[in-house]
Amino acid sequence: MSRIASSVAAVSLASALGLGLAGLANAQLVTNKDLSLAMAVTIAQTAVQTCKAQGYQVSAHVLGRNGEILVSMRGDDTGPHTLENSMKKAYTSRAQRLPSGKFAENVKANPTVGALHLTNMVPAQGGLPSMIGQDVIGAVGVSGAPGGDKDEVCAQAGIDKVAADLK
Amino acid sequence: MSKTVFGITGISLGFAFAVGVAASADAQLLAHKDLSLATATTIAMTALETCKAQGYNVSVHVLGREGQVVVALRNPAAGFATYENSMKKAYTARTTRAPSGRFAENVKGNPNAPQFFLTNFVAAQGALPIMVGNDTIGAIGISGAPGGDKDEVCAKAGIDRVAADLR
Repeated sequence: MSRIASSVAAVSLASALGLGLAGLANAQLVTNKDLSLAMAVTIAQTAVQTCKAQGYQVSAHVLGRNGEILVSMRGDDTGPHTLENSMKKAYTSRAQRLPSGKFAENVKANPTVGALHLTNMVPAQGGLPSMIGQDVIGAVGVSGAPGGDKDEVCAQAGIDKVAADLK
Repeated sequence: MSKTVFGITGISLGFAFAVGVAASADAQLLAHKDLSLATATTIAMTALETCKAQGYNVSVHVLGREGQVVVALRNPAAGFATYENSMKKAYTARTTRAPSGRFAENVKGNPNAPQFFLTNFVAAQGALPIMVGNDTIGAIGISGAPGGDKDEVCAKAGIDRVAADLR
């Protein structure tokens, strides 16, 4: 008898909680805009070609909202680390919602910052977040130019190329 | 005295080996052709667009001579396993120097084929080796069409597009 009472109580509680949750104001689905593959390819190719025109062979990554790889491109005659590094710069930009160079500056001021110990975080310039207004929908990372500032110029060119579509 | 003799003997022996090795017929550097990023991108994009024109959203990998990623394209409109699968098909085609569909046929009656204990082998059609004559310089893998045979058609279109440059 007490067992039945308990389970009835449990069912009532569960259903009350269920109703309570369902009734919350923010119980709708989340609406996101995300990069298409076509746009991601345009960003990556523009970045690689911009650097190439300046005499720099680079690798590039474009990541999506969840840090997933949309496009990887390994540049001709680049160091073997550049593919990985471009991914990590992009990942850092996406996760920090900042240029990876800004994260590098922050790390200089605080070398024990926790984020540095997470996978794929790198304090190196050359990655930029891809934004729609304040919403970070992905990131681009470039590696291979002689200096992260030069990588970043090419990343910026890639984002600029699709700026009109980032809305 | 005996120490000096040993030293001299050691040096002579070392010298003899060096000369012997240097004089052997295959002591030259290896010369081979590799995919450029531009060629790899053309292959990948042609495959992607060929499948799209047929109504199939696919992910694509183009790998180089050592199985390294040269271009990777994740199609958000395709299933999320397609990204990994396109890489593994390409890897299988590269390392077996044959269409991945042939590997799939070869292991049909052999579910414990030793290759299954290696990383990145997959028994699935949809990838082709990229050849210069008899030299396998890479591979392209496609995943996402409803059937490996349809994936392979798009892979073939990608390679055919650059056939004149594969020499």
